[in-house]
Amino acid sequence: MSLRKNVPQTRLIPIFSMLLGLGILMYALASFVTPVRAAPVFQDDKPGNDFCLACHQEEGIDKTLGKESLPVTINPTEFKNSVHAEEGFKCVDCHTDISDYPHPDVKVKNVRDFTLTFTETCKECHEEQYINAHDSVHQKALDEGNKDAAVCMDCHNPHKQTRLTGQTSGELTPAARLHIPETCAKCHSVIYDAYKNSVHGNALLEEGNTDVPTCIDCHGVHNIQNPTSVTFRNSTPFLCAKCHTDASIMDKYGISTNVLDSYVADFHGTTVKLFEEQFPDQPTNKPVCTDCHGVHDISKVDNPDTGIALRENLLVKCQRCHPDATANFPDAWMSHYTPDPQNYTIVYAVNLFYKFFIPAVLGGMIFFVLTDIYRRIVNRIKGGRHA
Amino acid sequence: MSKKTETTPMYERFPIWRRIEHIIMVLSFTTLGLTGLPQRFPASTLGVAILQVLGGIENLRLVHHIAAIVMMFGTAWHILVMGYSVMVLRDRMSMLPSLQDAKDGIQALLYNIGFAKEYPKMGRYTFEEKMEYWAFAWGAIVMGATGFMMWNPITATKFLPGEFVPAAKAAHGGEAVLAVLAIIIWHMYGVHIKRFNKAMFTGMQTEEEMLHEHPLELEEIKSGKSHRRPDAKTLRKRQMVYFPIAAVLTIAMLGGIYGFINAEDTSITTITPLTETQIYAPQTPQP
Repeated sequence: MSLRKNVPQTRLIPIFSMLLGLGILMYALASFVTPVRAAPVFQDDKPGNDFCLACHQEEGIDKTLGKESLPVTINPTEFKNSVHAEEGFKCVDCHTDISDYPHPDVKVKNVRDFTLTFTETCKECHEEQYINAHDSVHQKALDEGNKDAAVCMDCHNPHKQTRLTGQTSGELTPAARLHIPETCAKCHSVIYDAYKNSVHGNALLEEGNTDVPTCIDCHGVHNIQNPTSVTFRNSTPFLCAKCHTDASIMDKYGISTNVLDSYVADFHGTTVKLFEEQFPDQPTNKPVCTDCHGVHDISKVDNPDTGIALRENLLVKCQRCHPDATANFPDAWMSHYTPDPQNYTIVYAVNLFYKFFIPAVLGGMIFFVLTDIYRRIVNRIKGGRHA
Repeated sequence: MSKKTETTPMYERFPIWRRIEHIIMVLSFTTLGLTGLPQRFPASTLGVAILQVLGGIENLRLVHHIAAIVMMFGTAWHILVMGYSVMVLRDRMSMLPSLQDAKDGIQALLYNIGFAKEYPKMGRYTFEEKMEYWAFAWGAIVMGATGFMMWNPITATKFLPGEFVPAAKAAHGGEAVLAVLAIIIWHMYGVHIKRFNKAMFTGMQTEEEMLHEHPLELEEIKSGKSHRRPDAKTLRKRQMVYFPIAAVLTIAMLGGIYGFINAEDTSITTITPLTETQIYAPQTPQP
């Protein structure tokens, strides 16, 4: 503040034009560098990877950070197979402070803090992912002081990370999808154990079936949101519906794609849909998919122990919200059926009755009213009077 | 013209308590219809508009329930008034349907299409009015019974199969559509469009109106054959019998309404978290 006051007006103009010129120059330079994946050109005097690996491939070498030691061995084969090596990156592209041996001092005094400082390095090339991750529940936890919260390197070891997306498609490869739950399991092992035994997890991990959702299909990748929020809960039916209304996936397994429509037609689903549309952040006590089917531990509905196609298993779910519910109660929910002569016959019959009864009654009324109007018009033309 | 209306005798058609009853029914029926529409047709433009005016589905359901309670009180009041009419005044039960009503209806239709010379002459209540009254009574029973099952599904499924609850919902919706459209077609035409009939608000009808619509009743009144009020002594005697009965009936009906509203706590009001999962559970010490 005080500095600006002391600068005479006349000298501001050249300073500003200089800054402006500098800005334009930097912008122009930046546009050359921007293509994220292109390996930046470095001067030849920077050391090559072989130079670094000459020492770092040695087993069991550590760097002492305060009272902790950080293993600094790099397996040359693993590194060679990593996407970064494949793309021609050099160690010093990320380890920018190092150019020779001995290395400069590391200021941070523990391993975790050392890892945390590197997220800014990732941003240099992966800005989109960095920004997304900054909107995530992990970053929020980190900001609140939880240093265990995941950052880039916790999921993607930069020295080992292989290519995850198809080189031309840009889509996540099926092979990469297979290993997602293992990555999340590093911190969320209890949830992983539940998922592992679920219908989805079992298919992925035992059968290598990539039709099923992995963690990121529901939670997102870098901008992972709080799954315990009201908004997340209200949107659950539409999340599940992404796959469960897709006949190209469901037909293979003989699963109905009518699950969302039949849910929304029911009292519970109607309410949740209206909340989702009108007050997505307002809590409702009506159930969403996960309240009956489970979250990470979703089982087949005909599983004898947990399947909710079995009335006694469903009753347990009903009783979570309806503590006084008794044996007949679960049938009040039509189990995703559309009433037909075989399923929910009474409901079908009631609908059928009104389908004919309403037009019959109203048709009769309309007919009588029309004849009455006709008579009045005729009488008026004849000059007579209605009785 | 004005001189003529001054000299025309007026006939009382609806005493004040019947008119109050009607207003209660108009207000509660309209509210039930308007708040029912978004529940039957939640995706409709009108349904969404009504939902927004009332601030969402939960508020709307609350208003629907309050209107239902008002209608229950209206019905209870009607039963008490009917009881007084039948047991104390010993009025003729002129609302009961008879074979004559069917004949009148057919004759009216034949007259309209030109196959009968005269429009039927009818008494205190025409076949059109009786049809509407009994349709309303039937509707009230269906809506009340199915409404109870939806309001108290746990109580209902203690005695009935679970499937009755969605069946009740289907019937409630079907019957509602029928009732609202019947009111719009039959009631609107009969008492508003054909001729704006103010008797339900003023309570009175002119001789000319009586001659057109209730000629037999007019005839009876003129010939002095119409039902007369009992004398004070008889009235007192009958009241002494009816009032205790009415008191018991009132308590029973109030109890019924209370039970309807408070039969059960259907569900918890706040959803409980699914499971207390340990969210952060590292597999191995972090490198």
